[in-house]
Amino acid sequence: MKSRIAADRLRDLESITDAALAYLPLEDLLEELLDRVVGILAVDTSAILLLEDDDATLIPRAAKGLEEEVVRGVRIPIGRGFAGRVAATRKPVRILDVAEADIYNPILREKGLQSLLGVPLVVQGAVVGVLHVGTLTRRAFDDDDEELLQRAADRAALAIFSRLSERERGLADALQRSLMPRLPHLPALSLAGRYLPAAAARLGGGWYDAFALPDGRLGMAIGDVVGRGFHAAAIMGQLRSGLRAYALDGMPPHQVLERLSRLLRQLEPGRTATSVYLVLDPHGGALTVASAGHPPPLIHPAGGEPYFLELPGSVPLGAARHARYEQHDVELDPGTALVLYTDGLVERPEEPLEDGLDRLVKTVRDGEEDLEHLGDALVDALLPGGAGNDDAALLLARALPLGEEIVAEFPAEIESIPVMRRLLGRWLDEAGATRRDVDDLTLASAEAAANSIEHAYGLAPGVVELRASAEGGGRVTVAIRDFGNWRPPRGTHRGRGLMLMEGLTDAVEVVHSDTGTTVELSRRIGAEAA
Amino acid sequence: MIESPEPRVDYHDSVGVVTLRGEVDIVQAGELRDMLLGAVRNEDLGLVVDLTGASYIDSVGVSVLFELAEKLAERQLRFALVLPEGGLIERVLTIVNVGAVAGVHRSVDDALASVNAT
Repeated sequence: MKSRIAADRLRDLESITDAALAYLPLEDLLEELLDRVVGILAVDTSAILLLEDDDATLIPRAAKGLEEEVVRGVRIPIGRGFAGRVAATRKPVRILDVAEADIYNPILREKGLQSLLGVPLVVQGAVVGVLHVGTLTRRAFDDDDEELLQRAADRAALAIFSRLSERERGLADALQRSLMPRLPHLPALSLAGRYLPAAAARLGGGWYDAFALPDGRLGMAIGDVVGRGFHAAAIMGQLRSGLRAYALDGMPPHQVLERLSRLLRQLEPGRTATSVYLVLDPHGGALTVASAGHPPPLIHPAGGEPYFLELPGSVPLGAARHARYEQHDVELDPGTALVLYTDGLVERPEEPLEDGLDRLVKTVRDGEEDLEHLGDALVDALLPGGAGNDDAALLLARALPLGEEIVAEFPAEIESIPVMRRLLGRWLDEAGATRRDVDDLTLASAEAAANSIEHAYGLAPGVVELRASAEGGGRVTVAIRDFGNWRPPRGTHRGRGLMLMEGLTDAVEVVHSDTGTTVELSRRIGAEAA
Repeated sequence: MIESPEPRVDYHDSVGVVTLRGEVDIVQAGELRDMLLGAVRNEDLGLVVDLTGASYIDSVGVSVLFELAEKLAERQLRFALVLPEGGLIERVLTIVNVGAVAGVHRSVDDALASVNAT
């Protein structure tokens, strides 16, 4: 039996929840709601605490008369004290006399609160937080008060949850854009990546990364931090950066994973992640790979059957103190595709994992050569409705055959030289050059490029172009061209550079024009030197 | 093939032996130069640089060796190189005539013997 006054109070509450909840930003909405609750229930304080992503801690998000709670960043473990008990039991809790109750948060006593009433915020059967009110005078909260507060909590919970989802959705998008890397452009190497946030816009711990190493090889990584939410995503970001930092320091894959495991244990003991890190040398197709409990990469030789790269079992990152990882060398033929993926791509609820893996193999086998198209096809085939409960990441790579001639541009930076050497070496291999031809011509070309990089552009950014072509009789010509102002080589080591170009090729020709300088190197290849 | 290319220095009595691996080039030269110049101790008779495990050397790497030779000569210290026979490293160092500033040997033992010879 409800009093007339109680019904009016309820209507009063619902009027704001309907109108204001629809458009107010979350923080304003919570403030507005607490104001209204304080007025309607004639209490002195009111606070909303929301559950953290760890599902174990309540954090105050808004308060009236208890602002310190928010400012101080109080953290209340589920099950402890007053609010912790509301969340743990999912039932309202009334406290007549704070002095005699089990209270975790000292602010409640400091403020001189006498009586408290708290109710859970529940969405789809799960507790997402706690709403509580308090009075500075002793007050026995009754069933009407409790019902009213619970109604306020129920409506607020839905609004809060939809706002939070929106916010997470915004963050998931932002993460997708900012944390997912811009893939490097390496000559004759095709790369494509996909990241799909989990359903209901929950943030996930999946990532992929690809980057040029200082020696011109390609580093590729994929990984998945166990867990979901902001926290898993934040750990993911740190692991991704850590992996890249170790890799750029020149560490081999197994060592990169060992360091990363140690880093994860330091960042958050108890958290684990799986990852594969590999280094691909586009020149010759040598692949070195190490895995930390991650699903095996799929390899698809051009015109052949895709197969999973069988790696011995390994522990996830963070799972063992002093984890040791093994690395393995594999040779890939030109045109072979590499497919790295996370669980989220192949797993579906109520379906054996094998079915997802089979679908992956079939889609890769029947897929197009273009990796962007293959990426789209994989997402369509494996996650037709978007990602499920887990986010999904996918990284594809293919070293392409080079063909008759290469024309490639590089930033005029020293870091370009190893990349250029590897590209030219690969092309010379395909053109039938001997080891000695490859060594000599790539060194001579690197000297020409170094001269352009150091002298053509001063401090302004520029490009260096590499062309290589084969003529009749096993003669190849490599042309290194810049578009800057030519100046004669200076210093003794540039003088030695020219000496090396002349000593290692059959002919060197330097052509200056208004638009730049071209150094042409030619040599007969394929004949073993006497 | 991608073991860490960190250079290493071991001392055999009064002679340092620096082992260079991988690529001795424009990308690595700055760090290598500091490492090589720092490897010579006050009491040393000379320095051996072992290039057996190196796969590549360019004109900048060559210049580091020449600068090292000059610094050693100023202090009247001996300089010996260990080169593998018949590869790119030997071809490059022959073109620039490294023999004018350093003794060229096929093994670390030979190089050490030449530095220690009175």
